[in-house]
Amino acid sequence: MKEEILKKAKEIDKKFNVFVTIADKVEKTVKGKLNGIAISIKDNICTKGMQSTAGSKILEAYIPPFDATVVEKCRKEGAFVIGKTIQDEFGFGTFSINTDYTIPKNPIDPERSCGGSSGGSAGLTTAADFPHISIAESTGGSISCPASFCGVVGLTPTYGRVSRWGLIDYANSLDKIGPIGKTVKDTALLLSVIAGPDKYDSTVLKLKEEYFTKYLKNSVKGIKIGVPKEYFGEGVDEKIKKLVWEAIKKLESLGASYKEVSLPHTKYALSSYYIIAMTEASTNLAKLCGMRYGLHLPLKGNYDAYFSEVRKQGFTEEAKRRIILGTYARMAGFREAYYLKALKVRTRVIQDFKKAFKDYDVLIAPTMPVIAPKFDEIAKLEPIQHYMMDILTVGPNLAGIPMISVPCGFVDKLPVGLHIMGDHLQEGKIIQVAHTFEVNR
Amino acid sequence: MKAKMGLEIHVHLLTKSKFFCSCPTDYENKEPNENTCPICTGFPGNKPKVNKRVIDSAIMVAKALNCKINSDMFFSRKSYFYPDMPKNFQISQYEIPLAIKGYLEITNKKIGITRVHMEEDPAKLVHVGGDITSAKYVLVDYNRSGIPLIEIVTDPDFETTKEVREFLTKLSSILEHLEVYDATKEAALRVDANVSIDGGERVEIKNITGFKNVEKALNYEIVRQESRRKMGMEVVRETRHFDAETKSTATLRKKEFEEDYGYIFEPDLTKIEISEGWLKELQKEMPELPDQRIQRLVKDYGVNKYQAKVVVYTDKALADFFEDCCKIYKKPEEIIKWIITDLLKSLNWNKITIRESKVKPKTFIELLKLIDTGKITGRLGKEVIKEYVATGKSPKEIVEKKGLTLIEKDKLIKVVKEVIKKNPQAVEDYKKGKEKAIEYLVGQILRKIKARADPNKIRKLIKELI
Repeated sequence: MKEEILKKAKEIDKKFNVFVTIADKVEKTVKGKLNGIAISIKDNICTKGMQSTAGSKILEAYIPPFDATVVEKCRKEGAFVIGKTIQDEFGFGTFSINTDYTIPKNPIDPERSCGGSSGGSAGLTTAADFPHISIAESTGGSISCPASFCGVVGLTPTYGRVSRWGLIDYANSLDKIGPIGKTVKDTALLLSVIAGPDKYDSTVLKLKEEYFTKYLKNSVKGIKIGVPKEYFGEGVDEKIKKLVWEAIKKLESLGASYKEVSLPHTKYALSSYYIIAMTEASTNLAKLCGMRYGLHLPLKGNYDAYFSEVRKQGFTEEAKRRIILGTYARMAGFREAYYLKALKVRTRVIQDFKKAFKDYDVLIAPTMPVIAPKFDEIAKLEPIQHYMMDILTVGPNLAGIPMISVPCGFVDKLPVGLHIMGDHLQEGKIIQVAHTFEVNR
Repeated sequence: MKAKMGLEIHVHLLTKSKFFCSCPTDYENKEPNENTCPICTGFPGNKPKVNKRVIDSAIMVAKALNCKINSDMFFSRKSYFYPDMPKNFQISQYEIPLAIKGYLEITNKKIGITRVHMEEDPAKLVHVGGDITSAKYVLVDYNRSGIPLIEIVTDPDFETTKEVREFLTKLSSILEHLEVYDATKEAALRVDANVSIDGGERVEIKNITGFKNVEKALNYEIVRQESRRKMGMEVVRETRHFDAETKSTATLRKKEFEEDYGYIFEPDLTKIEISEGWLKELQKEMPELPDQRIQRLVKDYGVNKYQAKVVVYTDKALADFFEDCCKIYKKPEEIIKWIITDLLKSLNWNKITIRESKVKPKTFIELLKLIDTGKITGRLGKEVIKEYVATGKSPKEIVEKKGLTLIEKDKLIKVVKEVIKKNPQAVEDYKKGKEKAIEYLVGQILRKIKARADPNKIRKLIKELI
């Protein structure tokens, strides 16, 4: 059975390049909640004994000496780890093209992107015809975006719900590990396993164990939906808007009510997000210098010359761009205007959401402004246009609130995601709304 | 010319485990890189976790230095690339340090404390085949990486190296009394010193190990700057390195502007609130500090302030030793007199501290009792102390082996009689009123009995017997 799954996974990988590494053999598993389910893991999450590169050549052949907490928890529940999924290097991207490994193709249309940065996880989830859930990670939308493009479900938990121990950091104050699955139920199940306190991560909240599957109720009676008008602005595909509105109306017909709301600081979220993310990233990547692990080169020149050469060869253009921008934003003289200002803006963005959640149970918007683009279309985009793709996902990610993307139909035969956002720690509500929508669609 | 100096003092805080992981801090007699884990070597995916004991210790230091403690505490990342840094950033504190605006009093002066903050120590670099400027390559030992440090930054209030010495002596004593510092490890205290002359450019001397070297480095640097000035040469702003071997400083790098560390808040650690309750708890734990101890010694033991200062500031262990001695022998004035003269002299001669020596209260008191009961003379006592400190043998044993106890009275009388008989001229001279002649006789007798009698007693006996 497991051998069969591995074989299938390899076939999928051949067609769509979703893995960096596939397990070479079937490992023994214990009994638990995840028995019979194949688990794939985004490559920036450390797996003991299995190469973990975070999509970067600078960590090629790096084999972690320890399991990330989420991986350990899955193994304890009998998970069968089938491999590490491809991503944009360190999560730096929206289309999974910023990597020196192979680029994943969208199984729905291989000329198109899976989205990013957890592209491999979403692509595999779509293509798999066996029981499978993927552990992905989002910094600014890297779970929701690929889930939307690949027509699967992506659940990004509240920041602090899931331990980041063993996650190769992109931006520590934003990074969240969460599941991508075929159904809301799958994601609720995996979240129940990976959530919870961890002595190895000080930012994890000390909460009691929770079974998120108990929120899989077929009812939205009395649920109040807020529809943020800023999320339906210019640049969002009209056909997508139409589908999302249809979904909201559907939920209304099932007993929910809705009203338009405003999140006035939305327009500042993107710049605040990129400043904070790049700033933190530029410090996180400093440790990768060819000294203790990862890419090594023949020793030549002094320390500065050596590590510069390692970093020149090991990082993609996008990583270099983010290191340079992120370093700039924290240098004396600019730090106040960029880094510290961005932190203040983040507080405003959080306040917007907090205010909205006083009146509404969930907020609903499109996940992405577009459907999965073709690779040749992506090639024409400027870096800033890449960043603009995240316009709808960075807000909730910056605020650290939970969100779930569920498929709500097709535009030009390509899937569209419905983004359901909840207040901090209200995963239960978004799971309930998403599940109800899913079963009644 | 007038010197202006400021110090940045880095002290290893004495905790069992490192700042952000559970690796042990004790690196003595350990293989290189034995005390390491993914956290203190900066492996991908690691996250730091704060050792609360470090914060407790640091707060106590800040309190002892009369600082204002910030109620919200944050950690920051200080970024720079250097081979001793596993992450190429150091977890430190920046805009909101643990504490600010304190002071420490030295003679006739208060030295301002700008700030006190905590940070992690980088790894240790071993320069193979040379020193920092000449080594061909470098080995890295991460045993030291992640050991908690406290950094104490002073205002530029020092005008003489004597003030620096007094300050550091006092600081070291405070840290020892707080039990957060191991004075026996030289690397446990490292200092960066800034010095300028007559408002000239500031020169930073980096990484001076052990506080005795600080005075040497500053003395050298002041003389160097003065002589350049006198010769009409410029003193340039730079960072210099102190060579403990040659006791001189050499250029490490020119420094035209402040280094830019691109600080950001450490996103893996949450804000830590230092509550009133927490501070109150620590207040209860706060031990007696050196100044309080000096006052108490004067009050409780009747020793004078000078004596009390010597035992407290030399070494906390010496003050402990004094008090332990007083517990078993109720003659504090005599005990302290012997400690701060002959015992200290012998310890210094042997280049050891009281802790490193085999001197124990029980045996030390044994020696004082031998003197007090007249078993040996004070002069012999001085001799016995030297051997006692050097070998650790008990004073009784030393006295017995060498036959240093006073000789019996009839034996002494016999010798006195003999000497009188052999020196009729001296006896004659004394009788004629030459007082000095008797001293000659005393000397002869002392030599014969190897000083094993009190000279006064001998003098008395001679007078009786002629």
